[in-house]
Amino acid sequence: MNLTDSKKKLALSGVVCGLVAACLAYFGNPANMAFCIACFIRDTAGALGLHQTETVQYARPEIIGLVLGAFLISAATKEYRSMAGSSPMTRFVLGMILAIGSLVFLGCPLRMIIRMSAGDLNAWVALIGFILGVGTGVIALKKGFSLGRAHMTNRASGGVLPVLMLGILVIALATTLLKSSQSGPGSMHAPIFLSLAGGLIFGVFAQKSRMCFAGSIRDVILMRNFDLLTIIGGFFVVMLIFNAATGRFIPAFDTPGIIAHSQHLWNILGMYAVGFAAVLAGGCPLRQLILAGQGSSDSAVTVLGMFIGAAMAHNFGLAASATALNAETQEVTAGAVPPAGQVAVVICIIVCFVIAFTNRRSEGR
Amino acid sequence: MAMRKKERKLVVTFHTTADAMAMEKACREKDAPGRLIPVPREISAGCGLAWCAPLSCRETLIGLMEEQGIEREELHECMLR
Repeated sequence: MNLTDSKKKLALSGVVCGLVAACLAYFGNPANMAFCIACFIRDTAGALGLHQTETVQYARPEIIGLVLGAFLISAATKEYRSMAGSSPMTRFVLGMILAIGSLVFLGCPLRMIIRMSAGDLNAWVALIGFILGVGTGVIALKKGFSLGRAHMTNRASGGVLPVLMLGILVIALATTLLKSSQSGPGSMHAPIFLSLAGGLIFGVFAQKSRMCFAGSIRDVILMRNFDLLTIIGGFFVVMLIFNAATGRFIPAFDTPGIIAHSQHLWNILGMYAVGFAAVLAGGCPLRQLILAGQGSSDSAVTVLGMFIGAAMAHNFGLAASATALNAETQEVTAGAVPPAGQVAVVICIIVCFVIAFTNRRSEGR
Repeated sequence: MAMRKKERKLVVTFHTTADAMAMEKACREKDAPGRLIPVPREISAGCGLAWCAPLSCRETLIGLMEEQGIEREELHECMLR
């Protein structure tokens, strides 16, 4: 069945992915973190011991499922292409920026949409930064930015990341080697097989529909094409209905328990960096996992960059803290981006500009 | 806005987004027909850009790409709006 030949079918893909996210939130994933690529990569990096923040360590089966889902469906439909060679180290850095920017905002673009659907006004503020970031990336594209073309490579190369993900799953199921949070967001999760199934389904539909948060806005700005945005629309509507029906829709800025902060400038700049880097890398964090699953070693390197960036965000105290409620005193402590995180975001944006305007189309040929 | 009717179109794909952007620039400068579109899903699982033009412009566009040094990936024919 062709899932992409009409806007209705594209919206349906978004609806299915929305149902998966709602289901996972219902069965135990943290509030409004139902399905967040940056958070879940950060948790998985913690499980592997790449960082030592004890509250965010858990090998998220959703990440594994996304890559394997995209791998399996692309292999089954003969769309698997082992490609590599498009400025991999630059993509590694862009992956780091995707993770750091996301963890300053506290969520990837996917979680931004989920938070928006729960009435979190901070996410609506961050959307401004995200759109501006994508817009800046589009300007770079118009000025001739390119990381060079990828080439077909050995068939096995594109399968390495899916195999590594499978390895993490096996270690998680069969051993106690991985770290696992006893409290905090890392301790909150849906049952492992439900998470894995959710990741697989999400991965299949994201591969078929080419769902991408940065790409959807890029296509609107560049070509007035709303196909990809339709998928996001379907996803948003399902999450909105879910949140409204379960009493989770609270339109507000300071919302303890949601894992968010209200420092508007840093929400905007964090997502600006993510939007900008995503256009340069050719896809948002979700899309990078899907492309890696269908054989792109360049995207796999970007994913590795996200793992390292997420680990650095916690090792160097770059990640924002969330607004929290003290259970004893009932006092609300405002979440904030630490100074190191603020400096890191500014550096990330500068690096994006350097990458955007030093990599030219004429170079890679 | 009136919906365009679906008809068979020429779709040029490229190795990079930058090549597609270069194609747009060249076509605008030379007054050649067509527009940028996302690569149709039936052609690719990737998310690049393609150039969509009437079938009758095939030779003109091939000539233009050679003249401007724009490397194409493939030429396709697709039913598009």
